Amino acid sequence: MERDTLVSFEGVVKRFGNFTAVQRMDFEIKKGEFLAIMGSSGCGKTTTLRMLAGLEAPTEGTIRLSGKPINHLPTWQRDTPMVWQSLALFPFLNVRENVEFALKMRGVGKAERRRRAEQWLDRMQISEFAERNIAQLSGGQRQRVALARSLVVEPEILLLDEPLSALDAALKVRMQAVLKTLQRETGITFVYVTHSQSEAFSMADRVVIMSRGVIEQIGTPQEIYRTPRTKFVADFLGSSNIFSGKVASVSEGAMEIDAPSGRMRLALPDTARRSRPVPGSTATVTVLDTRMGLSVARPADAVNVVPAKVIGEEFVGATATLYLETDHGQEIRVQMGHEALENLPVGIGQRLYAHWSPADGHLVAEV
Amino acid sequence: MRSRLSLYGLTFSLPLLVWQLLFFVFPLVFLVALSFWTVKNFTMTPDFDTVNWVTMFSRGVFWQAYGTTFALATVAAALTSALAFPCAYAIAFKLSDTARRWAVFLMVIPFFTSYLVRVYSWQIFLSDAGIVNVMLGYVGLGPYGMLNTKGATLVGYLTLAFPLVVLLQLFSLAFIDRNLIEAAHNMRCGRMRTVFEVVIPSARVGLVIAALFAFILSFGDFVSPIYLGGGDPTTLSILITDTTKSGQQWPRAAVIALTMIATLLVVAFVAVRFAYAGRASKEVGK
Amino acid sequence: MSGSEHINRNRAVDWGLKLYVLLAYAFVFAPIAASFVFSFNSDRFPSIPLGDFTLDWYHAVASDPLVWEGLRNTLTVGVIVGVISTALGFGAAYTDYRYKFFGKQVYLALALLPPTIPVIILGLAMLAYLSRIDLSGNALSVIISHVVVCAPFAMAVIRLRLNQMDPALEPAAWNLGASEWQTMRHVILPFCKPAVFGALFITMAVSFDEFAVAWFVSGLNETLPVKVLGFLQGQVSPRINAIGTFVFVTSMTLVILAQLLLTGRGAKARLAAAGQE
Repeated sequence: MERDTLVSFEGVVKRFGNFTAVQRMDFEIKKGEFLAIMGSSGCGKTTTLRMLAGLEAPTEGTIRLSGKPINHLPTWQRDTPMVWQSLALFPFLNVRENVEFALKMRGVGKAERRRRAEQWLDRMQISEFAERNIAQLSGGQRQRVALARSLVVEPEILLLDEPLSALDAALKVRMQAVLKTLQRETGITFVYVTHSQSEAFSMADRVVIMSRGVIEQIGTPQEIYRTPRTKFVADFLGSSNIFSGKVASVSEGAMEIDAPSGRMRLALPDTARRSRPVPGSTATVTVLDTRMGLSVARPADAVNVVPAKVIGEEFVGATATLYLETDHGQEIRVQMGHEALENLPVGIGQRLYAHWSPADGHLVAEV
Repeated sequence: MRSRLSLYGLTFSLPLLVWQLLFFVFPLVFLVALSFWTVKNFTMTPDFDTVNWVTMFSRGVFWQAYGTTFALATVAAALTSALAFPCAYAIAFKLSDTARRWAVFLMVIPFFTSYLVRVYSWQIFLSDAGIVNVMLGYVGLGPYGMLNTKGATLVGYLTLAFPLVVLLQLFSLAFIDRNLIEAAHNMRCGRMRTVFEVVIPSARVGLVIAALFAFILSFGDFVSPIYLGGGDPTTLSILITDTTKSGQQWPRAAVIALTMIATLLVVAFVAVRFAYAGRASKEVGK
Repeated sequence: MSGSEHINRNRAVDWGLKLYVLLAYAFVFAPIAASFVFSFNSDRFPSIPLGDFTLDWYHAVASDPLVWEGLRNTLTVGVIVGVISTALGFGAAYTDYRYKFFGKQVYLALALLPPTIPVIILGLAMLAYLSRIDLSGNALSVIISHVVVCAPFAMAVIRLRLNQMDPALEPAAWNLGASEWQTMRHVILPFCKPAVFGALFITMAVSFDEFAVAWFVSGLNETLPVKVLGFLQGQVSPRINAIGTFVFVTSMTLVILAQLLLTGRGAKARLAAAGQE
């Protein structure tokens, strides 16, 4: 185990009756990092967090905190405070009493309790609401109380279970900034569970992507976005076009694939050498939708060209996404600015040519 | 891990369990044993003799009381349900939210008034020189002998069961999706037909359970048949109080009580089956 | 749902139904109101037209030492029953809220069934059983029997309150370092406080009015309702009205207190709720 590891999951499995929520999980959380665990509902992300918090016991394997196994430590004997999706603020206590709660449970004296709570109320800019009831606060203010309540014991790690899901879009962005700043300033390890790609990618240093109780990929947001490791990840992020086919040839630095839509060529980066694909095997290639080009006539110089007809379009802010379908039923999405779009005929049914450079194709590990 | 019963959990779950075993289950079980005991010279001796069962079941008065009680309770259940339904329906669909809350609150009040006092009060209304006869006299009618009749007994049963039945019906009506009713109207289902084709089937379980409670309450009540019905004809509950309080024949009273419990169990089982009967087949279709 | 539903409504039907509701409430409240009115009426055989206003019946009741003894018994029994039932009901409600275990259905049936058994049968069973274990014929036997009937009401009231609790609240307290006992003391109980008092008052009120089981098991320690039963058996007497009115006022005070605790929770909370919207 490395020196800067705070938490390690070693072969952790969690079953509920016949249902396996988490299957054989091995990963580490580094001291001081902002880690996001992401996946759709039922993927095991919340179970993972709850095992770390001590609210569920692993069926198999060991979870270590600072090197010590904590499997059988009840949650009230761990310092793994959590911010809940519902926030779970105590409605019968006022803001100050909520923040003091953890200190009171630890037997901290009244004066000291008040002093430390004051400090965090101040830091979260909620001092003026100290005597208010929880019901009198706005959504954003409640978030701050929940954070102060968890952080008042100055833990090494903070667990967050989709804490922003109840907020509206504008407030969400503001709270993301608050969280990120807080994490950077305090140096406390944040483990943040979410199903939202934008939350995970905008705040986290590293992202864990889970599906059906299995970790699909761990990496920085950049790595995951550019080079999804599995087809699932590419699918889940939804910003890549995915082509599958048989490997036709492999040469130094490049390979060719026969997909239903035609032959495709892509550059093989050095990192892929170790697991160089064998001709005849199946391979999957992803191409980011921002890297796709469209033209009315077949481009003469392009290597990868797929004819397709337009089936729909979608506008979000300054960018537009065109949805096309090849003759083989494969869906292709292309993202472009409005200027680029203006020069294209994009009526439903319009035939166009999608093309991309071999350097933008990315080979994923087939699962 | 947190859901296993620990010392902490047992502290909260055990007391009620122990109490209800000791003072609810055991007394009822003891009642079964008691029904096989024998009484000699006004003292009971533990025994295993079917004499009490044979004696009671071979008495005409017992079966007469059984028939009376069952018939009265059935009529009471049907009458209470029929009279309560328009009331519950109106509260559920025709009143404003505020009025509905008040209506519910007012319907709860009778539960906390003495049933005995209310029955006594009905005597004031129904006696020969009572309020009802005086009022009828003003328009040149009567007087009618209303007290000490089966009708008066039914008034007592209604007093007992009506508020509960209205609340239970109201509760089940409150859960009907209003869109169902509008959809029915939209498909040219008339107002009355909608009540019978949509509202009642939707609230079926609640309506049956409400009628069941009216039956149970009426079946076991001894106050109305005595103080409004005049004790004649005798009901099973009167038979129990007489046998226990004056006759000291507890084992025989136990036989009556057990017969009543058995009857109630059968009625409850049939009612619940009936309540959910339509539902099961519908859910298969889903 | 109210006035805005327009074209598909028939005014005559609506008014007819509303009139019916008024009649129904008149039927329900006629005996209660009559009892109240006639408790101040001088006639020995109450009817209309009303006689003179009098407090004689209250005097008669108040000067009857047996009534006072009955009242004392009722209050003692009611308070003790309220406390025990609420404690047991709370435990059962929390058990149902928190735990899953084999045989839970049976547990819940035991916890909730007693009020559905006719009181006369319960009374007989209690009398036979308690006299067998030498517990019958005293106030204790009434308390024991009443708790059996009242605990389910307490459980229902408190269980409904626990339903309103954010399921994350209890684990959140553990997560902040509170042990299970500490969480009970600092989170669950404070959250359930209004329901606990509500249950206390409701179970007391139920016990105050219960007469059948008490009549069977009480022996010489008769409670007030049992006394009323005695009056009924003897001769028709407007004293019943006086006692009835008194018991009604007492019960209603308890119920309204419970109601305020369960729904209102004071002006402070209402203000808070308004701020939330």
